[in-house]
Amino acid sequence: MIQVRELSKRYPSGTVGLDGVTLDVEAGEFVALIGSSGAGKSTFLRCLNGLVIPTAGTVRVDGRPVTGASRQGLRSVRARVGFVFQQFNLLKRLSVLDNVLVGTLSRVDLWRSLLGRFRAGDLERARRTLKRVGLDGIEGQRADTLSGGQQQRVAIARALVQEPLVLLADEPMSSLDPALSRSVMELLRDINREDGLTVIASLHVLDLAITYGDRIVGLRAGRVVHDGPAAGLTPSAAEAIFDTERNGDGDGERP
Amino acid sequence: MSPASRWAGGLAIAAAFIWSAWSTEVSPGRLVEGIPFMLDFVGRMLPPDPSVLGQALRGALQTLQIAVVGTAVGAVLALPVAFAAARNTAPRWAFYWTRSALNVFRAMDTLVYALFFVAAVGLGPFPGVLAVVVYTATVLAKLYSEAIEAMDPLPVEAVEAVGATPLQVLRWGVVPQLVPQFLSFTLYRFETNIRAAAVLGFVGAGGIGFYIQTYLRLLNYPAASTVLLVLVAMVMLVDFASSRLRARLV
Repeated sequence: MIQVRELSKRYPSGTVGLDGVTLDVEAGEFVALIGSSGAGKSTFLRCLNGLVIPTAGTVRVDGRPVTGASRQGLRSVRARVGFVFQQFNLLKRLSVLDNVLVGTLSRVDLWRSLLGRFRAGDLERARRTLKRVGLDGIEGQRADTLSGGQQQRVAIARALVQEPLVLLADEPMSSLDPALSRSVMELLRDINREDGLTVIASLHVLDLAITYGDRIVGLRAGRVVHDGPAAGLTPSAAEAIFDTERNGDGDGERP
Repeated sequence: MSPASRWAGGLAIAAAFIWSAWSTEVSPGRLVEGIPFMLDFVGRMLPPDPSVLGQALRGALQTLQIAVVGTAVGAVLALPVAFAAARNTAPRWAFYWTRSALNVFRAMDTLVYALFFVAAVGLGPFPGVLAVVVYTATVLAKLYSEAIEAMDPLPVEAVEAVGATPLQVLRWGVVPQLVPQFLSFTLYRFETNIRAAAVLGFVGAGGIGFYIQTYLRLLNYPAASTVLLVLVAMVMLVDFASSRLRARLV
């Protein structure tokens, strides 16, 4: 589903975000991406949908190139890749339903999308998705009236109506309290199991990664330092991933 | 700040105040001496002369119309300029030149523009409209551009991430953030423009100001007070309606 080859990102400031990452993710996997802050988790996920342009290396999603793609090509890849952000990134003044409908934009004719006249089928799908993430009956509310946990569910619904092949989640629970974190992670796992959707979630909490991930990829200073099934992660391996002593100058987490 | 520089600053401000008050011949004694004349003035304004009410209402309506057209056209002109004057949407050179030009234009108030346009196109409400347009466009361009700079980039990124085209990103990522603020600024400017348009008549640029000035010059104080009362009523009415609307936008 995802092929990453020798991916490197050096920011203009000189900080290294990624340093030669090579990774394959199969369809249906739930990959937990772990590492301390600044290890390159955000940069890696953002390279997968072209929000960050890498300095070197290639990314393919479902066989289609992300690196070096035309604008049109990049948009068609993004249409099939859902992205869930740490800060939810909702449009605060818009209703819950409108926020979810944003996820359908790549399928809607230009004039319909500019006038906000979405087709009945898309409206129906948006409402169904809201129900699926447990947000029934609040579609008319403004997004900024919701709690953090509800906002993240709206963001997940926005990603799901894209009918994506892959769901990328960048620290989806770090703005939430522990109980809400678990419920969001459970939602992502259910989606992964029931729909067979490939999920890559970056997490900075090890036990969430072990509980919910099938496979754990550890990043440190922009390099893959661990890759294996969640069950087999030994304490010493975990320690090596989070070892801040040898972490280097990995402050390139966000551009 | 060190205590010494604080003292120096305080002294400088006090000196500037005293010098300015002296230069402008500020005199509490003269103010007190003037009180009987003020009371006499107010007394002579009463009772207001109802026979000029129709005239006053026509003048008020024209002032309102000058403000409506001037604000609307000014707002439309301000829109593209604002994007050229915002750090996050304009190239550096365009930002620099647009901001500088706006600062120059904003240095003059509506009344100064009215004098200029009366000379250019003749007397009447039209030069008044032009004056309101120019001043409104520069002020709103500045306010809009600040709103553009304060825009949250995160939701915009989210709309890009679903594979939306640039036009769709504008419609769904940018417009929802900016439109309520733009409308609110525009309404606020409309309130201010009513007041500005009320004095345009002093320089022959139409509206209710013409009657205020005329009746004061003719020493017809009862007529002048009718016109002033109509002006006050109109300003209060518009402020009330406009602030109610603005409260609903944010």
